[in-house]
Amino acid sequence: MMFVLRMAARETRASWKRLIFFFICIAVGVAAIVTLRSVIQSVRGVFGKEAKALIAADVLVSTNSAWMPDARQTIEHRFAEYDATEWTESVETPTMSRPADGRAVARMVELRAVQRAFPLYGTVGLEGGQTYSYALLQQHGVLVRPELLTALGLKVGDQLSIGQAVFVIRGVITTEPGRRVGGFSLGPRVLIDYDDLPSTGLINVGSRARHVLLVRVPEDRIEPLVRALRLDFREQYIGARSYRSTDDEVGRDFDRAENYLSMVGLVIVILGGIAVSSVTRVFIMQKIRGIAVLKCVGARSSQIMAVYVLQVVALGCAGSLLGILLARGTLAAIPVALGSSTSILAEADYGLSWSAAAQGSAVGILVSLLFSLVPLMQVRYVKPSLLLRDEPPPRRRDWARLGVMALVSLGLMGVAGWQAGSLRVGVVVCCGFAALAIVLQLAGRLLITLIAPLAKSPSFPLRHAVLHLSRPGNQARVILFAVGLGAFFVIGVRSLQGSLLQEFSIQISEDAPDMFLIDIQRDQADGMRAFLTDPKNHAGQSRLMPVLRARVTGVTGRETNLETFEDVRARGSLAREYTVTYRDHLEANERLVDGEFPSSPSPDPEVSIEKGIHERFAINLEDTVRFDVLGRTISARVTSIREVDWRDARSGGFMFVFRPGALEQAPQTYIAPLKGPADVAARARFQHDLVEKFPNVSVIDFREILETVRDIMSKVTLAVTVVGGLVLFSGALILVGAVAMTKFQRIYEAAVLKTLGANTRTIAKMLLFEYGVLGSLAGIVGSLGAVALTWGVSRYALEIPWRIFAAEHVGGVAVTAVMVAAIGVLSSLDVLRHKPLATLRAE
Amino acid sequence: MIELREVSKTVMSGSEPLTILHPLSLQIERGRFLAIVGPSGSGKSTLLGLLAGLDAPTSGSVSIDGVDITKLDEDRLAKLRGEKIGFVFQFFHLIPSLTALENVSVPIEIIGGRDARRRAATLIEEVGLTGRAHHYPSQLSGGEQQRVALARALANDPPIVLADEPTGNLDTTNGRHIMALLRGIHQRRGTTVVLVTHDAELAATADARIVLRDGRVVETIDAGAGRPFAVPSDAHQGSDRHAAEPVQVESE
Repeated sequence: MMFVLRMAARETRASWKRLIFFFICIAVGVAAIVTLRSVIQSVRGVFGKEAKALIAADVLVSTNSAWMPDARQTIEHRFAEYDATEWTESVETPTMSRPADGRAVARMVELRAVQRAFPLYGTVGLEGGQTYSYALLQQHGVLVRPELLTALGLKVGDQLSIGQAVFVIRGVITTEPGRRVGGFSLGPRVLIDYDDLPSTGLINVGSRARHVLLVRVPEDRIEPLVRALRLDFREQYIGARSYRSTDDEVGRDFDRAENYLSMVGLVIVILGGIAVSSVTRVFIMQKIRGIAVLKCVGARSSQIMAVYVLQVVALGCAGSLLGILLARGTLAAIPVALGSSTSILAEADYGLSWSAAAQGSAVGILVSLLFSLVPLMQVRYVKPSLLLRDEPPPRRRDWARLGVMALVSLGLMGVAGWQAGSLRVGVVVCCGFAALAIVLQLAGRLLITLIAPLAKSPSFPLRHAVLHLSRPGNQARVILFAVGLGAFFVIGVRSLQGSLLQEFSIQISEDAPDMFLIDIQRDQADGMRAFLTDPKNHAGQSRLMPVLRARVTGVTGRETNLETFEDVRARGSLAREYTVTYRDHLEANERLVDGEFPSSPSPDPEVSIEKGIHERFAINLEDTVRFDVLGRTISARVTSIREVDWRDARSGGFMFVFRPGALEQAPQTYIAPLKGPADVAARARFQHDLVEKFPNVSVIDFREILETVRDIMSKVTLAVTVVGGLVLFSGALILVGAVAMTKFQRIYEAAVLKTLGANTRTIAKMLLFEYGVLGSLAGIVGSLGAVALTWGVSRYALEIPWRIFAAEHVGGVAVTAVMVAAIGVLSSLDVLRHKPLATLRAE
Repeated sequence: MIELREVSKTVMSGSEPLTILHPLSLQIERGRFLAIVGPSGSGKSTLLGLLAGLDAPTSGSVSIDGVDITKLDEDRLAKLRGEKIGFVFQFFHLIPSLTALENVSVPIEIIGGRDARRRAATLIEEVGLTGRAHHYPSQLSGGEQQRVALARALANDPPIVLADEPTGNLDTTNGRHIMALLRGIHQRRGTTVVLVTHDAELAATADARIVLRDGRVVETIDAGAGRPFAVPSDAHQGSDRHAAEPVQVESE
């Protein structure tokens, strides 16, 4: 044992410089895991501190329409029964806001009207140390998010028009209880007094408003109350949930996020592992004589293996430690990067999580060990007789090695499963990696075969460069894999981004509508038509479509029979609230798949369903679907199945379209897709004038959304590009490592070539060509992978036309080639500098 | 005692078998100094490898102190080498990542011996390298490296030292120095020394010599007996064999 320990220490002392890439590769991966996990845990901590503040109450009861008196009675009865000590009401609705001074700007906001007791838990954070109190809202006061002030050019003390009312801005919100982080929102939050809501005129029949009751109840009554309310309203659209269920939900979200992100880290560690494997293989090859000597003086194979395994563990530990330090540095930089951000993310402390550090180190050490075991098995083949006579190791099937390979694969799946929090995901990731590795390897091999004719090129450096790629012991395959994988990530993601952005741009092309008006009341319809056709408003083509909000409460059909709403709820998204319409014609973006689309009104309710509904829920022609349309039950016969081209938003997209005649009398609003004025100032003026005249109507501006999408996408792309860049960086490290490991052989070859008359320039050219060819091949492998990725994702996940961005691919290949060539040549400067005589004498 | 019975070695040269050592029997008594002589490719190093269990014979058996080493597995062979055999090679074969002292202490550490460092230091002193103990092989001259290799060979005080062309890579002065050390060890410790060399002058200083050519013994000379003996063709008849001879050879 002492021998093993001492030898491991001596070997590490002697070879740490050569193995430095080993632990840098591990360090980068470990740093990624530790940083990502720590960040998530820090952010989660902010939530964990005030779980109740997440929903600002113990229990939350909500509905999407105004409270019906009988429902309200039941709820209050339950509150009394379960000893609710306090409750308060709030209403949330998206709407337009604009400066009261008449400037031609308007902005969509998410309005929340609250009462005195709000929030029951947590507090509203305000900028500048201002303390929240209900008095700030009373008498038409309003609290707003800072981004609204920027968008409208307002400041605290200015007046803001919402609907028909004017409010004074009394403060700027930094944090707000009951607001989900990362949830999609149509606009910045605006907080007003519940009592001022009627003055805005926003709440009408059919308006998109969420009515919420926040309740405080004793801890032991929380769950019974939620259960009782759910039972009371199982057939109605009133939901009840406790802070605990929210906590669980958020907790699950965080678990998923943490596990997903740590998979990204794991991918980097696995790449590091591939580098480890390659470095170990070359390292052992260089140690063969030393191993033979040890065997000659009495060491057993197992003792020598133990020496190197211990060395690997030591390097894995060192790499992990370095990784933790890197993570610590990155984490310290996050608050600086967030600066004065008011986001809830800025509240996290971003400390190093010790559990993340422990997990990261464990993964680092395990991956080092697993990836080095197979190459370390070579120790067993080294015969001491090698010291007397060179002879190749016997070629035979090595069952022990195959067994270790199987164990290593299982181990990796275990590590991946552990990191992903699901063995299935672990297996999928490992198999995906293996499949990707095989594909990249095959592609690399194919490309090497394809360029083989260049070995007959008249250019001496090019000829040798090509020959080097297929000589024994070369590192081409591992470099192709690692660098190719990095290129694949970066090119693939950038192409997808381009594809998606182009898709959005097409949607708002010249003739397509680029604005959507919602919540137009029935009595406003004629006025709105007049407004839109008035030439001085510069609106393009437009039309009004009636819309109603409906839920499916039952299905009676050939394949599907859903008796109650409970049954429907069991079908997942079928239970959600749908926006429906009625008309007597198909729209341009629709195609009839089956049945007949009605062309005349009928008093008997008939409905046309979208193909997706037909396929997912097995609802067929002649089935009857029962709807609840704002309290009215309507049973409609399915008479046709349509396919909607969702990419064409011109005419909207509806899952259910009714035959005219049945819904005309139901409460409804109108929506209007239209082509807005072209220039920015005219658009702002148009929105302002429209909201001025119809204060309750909301304007969704596609151009603004496109900007937001573009912004979000560039952030996502940046994030994925950073990950791809890290992968590429790992690839570069592997490359540097591979060059360093084979340098001695290179130096010898260069010495021989120099004595045969090659000058330094020729040898430099050879290196440049060799790494340039290798880089180009890696770039092409990555680019081909990216083509496959974008095709698959475009076709199956995003359902958008597949596009090739030649610039991304050509640029990607060129950058990869230049990068690999530069790194290759720079890491081989020693080869150029060495004097041939000294080298040959040393041999 | 080392005993070889009908030992031969055949290797594959491409797809053709090539016999590099023809069947040979040999006994080396404890405390002898035997030289194996012959030109390059005559099978000297192969014979040495078989004696040490570094290589397995194609046929025949090799015994050391009555133990048939051809029946031992790799680990037992390694143990036997660690305890009973010291090696000196033409190309020194020191471990480049270890200092001179560490190179010498490794065999002691492998068998779990005590005071490895102190014993290694004594041996370093014995071969005249005090002051160079903490140098790496790359910082030592060829002669110095070979002296370290010699010290390493003696680390576990083995009864047998096998030396494969120990002066082949050294100048004359260093070569003489190494030979003097080897002879000193043989005389002082009573160690059995088997020396492989193609240098007839060096071989002449041994107690006995075996001359190999093309994998066959062509001559055996016992300096103690003062006469040549055992040419291969009649060696198996035992005509030149002397019952008291410390080295006995049979070869076909």
